[in-house]
Amino acid sequence: MTAKAIELQEIDKRFFGVPVLRKVSLSVFCGETLGLAGENGAGKSTLMNILGGNLQPDSGSLLLAGQPYRPRSPHDAAKAGIAFIHQELNLFSNLSIAENLFLTDFPTRAGIIDRRVLRRRTGELLDQAGLNLSPETPVHRLSSGQRQLVEIAKALSLDPKVILFDEPTTSLTQREKEHLFSLVARLQSRGLTLIYISHVLADLTRLCHRVAVLRDGQVAGCGPMKDFSHDRLITLMVGRSLEVQFPPPTSAPAPEPILEARDLTRRGKISGVSFCLRRGEILGIAGLMGSGRTELARLLFGLDPLTGGSIHLEGRPVQHLSPRQRIARGLAFLTEDRREDGLCLDASITENISLVAAASYTRRPLGWLRLDSLRLAVAMIRERVQLTSTARDSQPVRTLSGGNQQKAVLAKWLLARPRVLLLDEPTRGIDVGAKHEIYTLIRQLSAAGAGILIISSEIEELTGLCDRILVLASGCLHDEIPKAAFDPERILRSAMAGAAASTPSSALP
Amino acid sequence: MIQSPAAATLRFAPILLFILLLAAFGLSSPRFLEPQNLVNIALQSSSTAIAATGMTFALLTAGVDLSVGAIMFVAVAVAGKMIHHGQPVALAFCAALAAGAAFGALNGLLVARLRILAFIATLGTLFAGRGFGLWLTETRAMNMPESVTRLGTDRWLGIPWMPLAVLAVVCLLAHTVLVATPFGRMIYAAGHDAEAARKAGVPVRRVLFCVYLISGVCAAAGGLVALTQTGAVSPKFGEQKEFAAIAAAVLGGVSLFGGRGAVLPGTLLGALLIQTVENGLVILNANPYIYPLVASGVIFLAVLLDSIRNRAQLSLPGGCQAAAGPSKARS
Amino acid sequence: MRILRRIVASEYLVLFLCLAWFAALAPVAPGLATPRNLANILAALLPLLVVATGQTIVLITGGIDLSVASVIALASVAGSALVTGAGGPLAGSPLAVPAGILTMLAVGAGVGLLNGTCVAALRMPPFMVTLATMMFFSGLAIWSTQSRSIHHLPPGLLLAGGNVWISAAVALTVALAVHLVLRRTLLGRWIHAAGQNPKAALVSGVPLQRTLILAYLLCGLAAGVAALLITGRLETGSPVHWRSQLLDIIGAVVIGGTSLYGGRGAVAWTAGGVLFLTLIDNSLNLLSLSHFTIMMVKGSVILFAAYLDTWRSRLIAAA
Repeated sequence: MTAKAIELQEIDKRFFGVPVLRKVSLSVFCGETLGLAGENGAGKSTLMNILGGNLQPDSGSLLLAGQPYRPRSPHDAAKAGIAFIHQELNLFSNLSIAENLFLTDFPTRAGIIDRRVLRRRTGELLDQAGLNLSPETPVHRLSSGQRQLVEIAKALSLDPKVILFDEPTTSLTQREKEHLFSLVARLQSRGLTLIYISHVLADLTRLCHRVAVLRDGQVAGCGPMKDFSHDRLITLMVGRSLEVQFPPPTSAPAPEPILEARDLTRRGKISGVSFCLRRGEILGIAGLMGSGRTELARLLFGLDPLTGGSIHLEGRPVQHLSPRQRIARGLAFLTEDRREDGLCLDASITENISLVAAASYTRRPLGWLRLDSLRLAVAMIRERVQLTSTARDSQPVRTLSGGNQQKAVLAKWLLARPRVLLLDEPTRGIDVGAKHEIYTLIRQLSAAGAGILIISSEIEELTGLCDRILVLASGCLHDEIPKAAFDPERILRSAMAGAAASTPSSALP
Repeated sequence: MIQSPAAATLRFAPILLFILLLAAFGLSSPRFLEPQNLVNIALQSSSTAIAATGMTFALLTAGVDLSVGAIMFVAVAVAGKMIHHGQPVALAFCAALAAGAAFGALNGLLVARLRILAFIATLGTLFAGRGFGLWLTETRAMNMPESVTRLGTDRWLGIPWMPLAVLAVVCLLAHTVLVATPFGRMIYAAGHDAEAARKAGVPVRRVLFCVYLISGVCAAAGGLVALTQTGAVSPKFGEQKEFAAIAAAVLGGVSLFGGRGAVLPGTLLGALLIQTVENGLVILNANPYIYPLVASGVIFLAVLLDSIRNRAQLSLPGGCQAAAGPSKARS
Repeated sequence: MRILRRIVASEYLVLFLCLAWFAALAPVAPGLATPRNLANILAALLPLLVVATGQTIVLITGGIDLSVASVIALASVAGSALVTGAGGPLAGSPLAVPAGILTMLAVGAGVGLLNGTCVAALRMPPFMVTLATMMFFSGLAIWSTQSRSIHHLPPGLLLAGGNVWISAAVALTVALAVHLVLRRTLLGRWIHAAGQNPKAALVSGVPLQRTLILAYLLCGLAAGVAALLITGRLETGSPVHWRSQLLDIIGAVVIGGTSLYGGRGAVAWTAGGVLFLTLIDNSLNLLSLSHFTIMMVKGSVILFAAYLDTWRSRLIAAA
């Protein structure tokens, strides 16, 4: 057995109190390629960010070639010989390829950048990465596939011992992907240690010697690649965690539609999506990252313009209306990232909860707020979503736990009495108790006749709550699964197959 | 990325504007295009162009230096005071440059170390600097001896060469630093995305500090050039020069949002353009009170063009951070 | 250290500073605590309070308005030119006083509308937009009067600024009105949300463009009111009124505790900041320090306040 290149020992990491990694122990041997598989949110990227110096673990230790390793920044990691190819690319688009590669390490003569040496060394690296471009090309002119290869060239410039790939193929065309794979093969033959994250199981089988599966922040399985069939991988990825109980449905959806989307299209993101949401129905949207899930919700809410298709809310067309007008028609949108565009973090609980509904608690013509009734309404809605009673109304929401912040966002929308709710990752990053409470609320809302669209990375959540699930892949509807046929493995397989079948180049008209 | 005709027009807007102006003024007055007048435009713009070169450094980091005019005043006040006390001109000028460097370092400290928004930090030093300069000069005008004004008027081949030589040296030096040194490229990286630059190992704080230092020295140099031309230190010396400097840089294509633009030809062209407008108005015998109106109109146009160029990157209106400093470095 | 942090994070920081400053200088500065001087402080404070109140609105949206000082100058000369006894078109007319007042307010609102439109609809950075309008309208005021002051104004126009009690009533009305708008109306909620998190505001159905335009408009309107008070107090319309007072205006708001990063601010805080700056000005004058020393001290105080704001933002973010 060869030496261990990297050893992770009992790594713990929490975000805002919610565990993301739980006592993860994992070894990577010198010269091998380790595949990392798992659902969205299983903790793969967090693990890579810890290795790459972007995040620090709460506890546990890292060993690099047997030595303790504690990177405080990506720069530290690079110096230690670990290169990280990010999912989202980190190049400076206002600089040239060569400048990006040597930004902190320019070859100079008398303080002046030696362009000749720079060009030669960049040329060598680009050759290694198999990129046939002039070193002087500005990065903003490159396609995303080319940028990916520049990232790899940049990683190679640091002469790394270990390279981490985080979903490197999501934005590549088929040809670029083949190119990347032959590059990976060359890196393997040079004896480099690689860690490769991917949703595409065929890629893992093809490239990796060993594979580890993460689930709920824990290692669910690890061993030689040949021991893991695709079916076994998927079973490990979706294996049921018994912590969360889903409240049973109390009513059946009504037959009449409340929200109808016909042929929704937004160039480059969504193409020809049609579906119908019924009164009292909970409709799930499954799909991998980048499948267009969030884009679909933004289209429905009017945050991005449609390039084609129509949306009917309770029988009336709304596609020409602004988000504000759609809210008035009974639409609500709980966004994916509550800190980014869900909450005003430094504002009080009351201010946040009342932001949407305040418009209907005013006296004309001055827009004078009826503060007393607003306060009463906020108190009632706080009660309803079971926001922690220890928090004062005037407390900034920043000070709340993730679960309570999410309840505050939900309260904000419920106060406006919506009839259709678009919920994008309604339970992301919150604790089990709060999850259960939010599930109960969703059930109550649908029983009261609201139509609910849930987007979630947690397939279990969809199968536990929904009446029907749509699978989205590369901006198209790929599958529709009725409740009787719910099967986590089928859903995941469908989402992955859809993503693998259509490369982004074919999704972009 | 393919450039559309509209994007190309935007990109070359300053040059198009410049040619248009030259043509318009040239048509309305034959005197305008005479070589002597063109040299005059270059001479008159030299001090602004030098200060704007320093400003370009600050703008490239997505910051701004509003104290440029005040630093010009402090520098010439120091020089004037020393010359009045009989010190040699060379020593006085060196002291002036040192004063500029000191003020620049103070700005750098406030922005890079204490992380105060660039525009408010330099607004504060603007007032502190003006107060300091008034204290130095005791609010009186000082006339310079002939040994100083000779520097600005000495002719070689019929042209007062010194201001133009300083301008050329400063622009070439700044251009070299920005284009051909690691430090220069790091400025562009930090201006594009300070947080990403920090992660990539760029010493962002040190870069910011140096940028304001350079801006201070350039402002002092620009002040000294103006001093040799006007021959007097008045209490209003350098007033509102910071706006002219910003306008020159932005007109020359330097983005207020950081990371884009250049001294050559950009900022220099911008400075010449503004001076051309003023010179043209003089030749057309326009009311002098109308100059600031035209100048601010030109600035407005420049900012409008810049924001249209940036429209794709800006998703939301209203935040002042975009123009107010390295907001991404705050976290 | 903890106590220091508590004080820094306190809403009433500036009032503590005022008291400390007053207590420290009262023994040294001759006549600081006399009723007559206190009345002086009040009179000097009122126009600043009005214009700083308007600025508070814009700062809460995360923007800034540098053009207010120029608006004061332009409004002052526009209103005065209309009604001056020395050749104004409305001189002697019974409509002169209301027309003059309306003109001042309209100039303020008009410039504010222009600023707001550029920021909200054309998405130009507020700092640069208002920098350009500041230069332009200051230039316009000077050009239109050829840099001359306008005298012979009708007493009715001077009444609001000339009498300290009427001034106080006007200033307090403006401050109270803005306070109520910010605290008790839907527009106030929207203004705060726009500064706190524009993305979340947009998703929550806040009409961002309209809100921003109104914020700048109200700010310009307040500057128009300030122009009325200043014109009355100095009994002239002048294109250089308050030319160098811009830093006082923004400084007073920031010292009061309104954040330059947007989302946090209050009229009451601004009133504290205005009091503090006026107190510094007044007491340094009493100590017969020179104009430029006062300038330097004020510059430093404002830098210090900006530093406190940065520090405070970090304290809150870390909490």
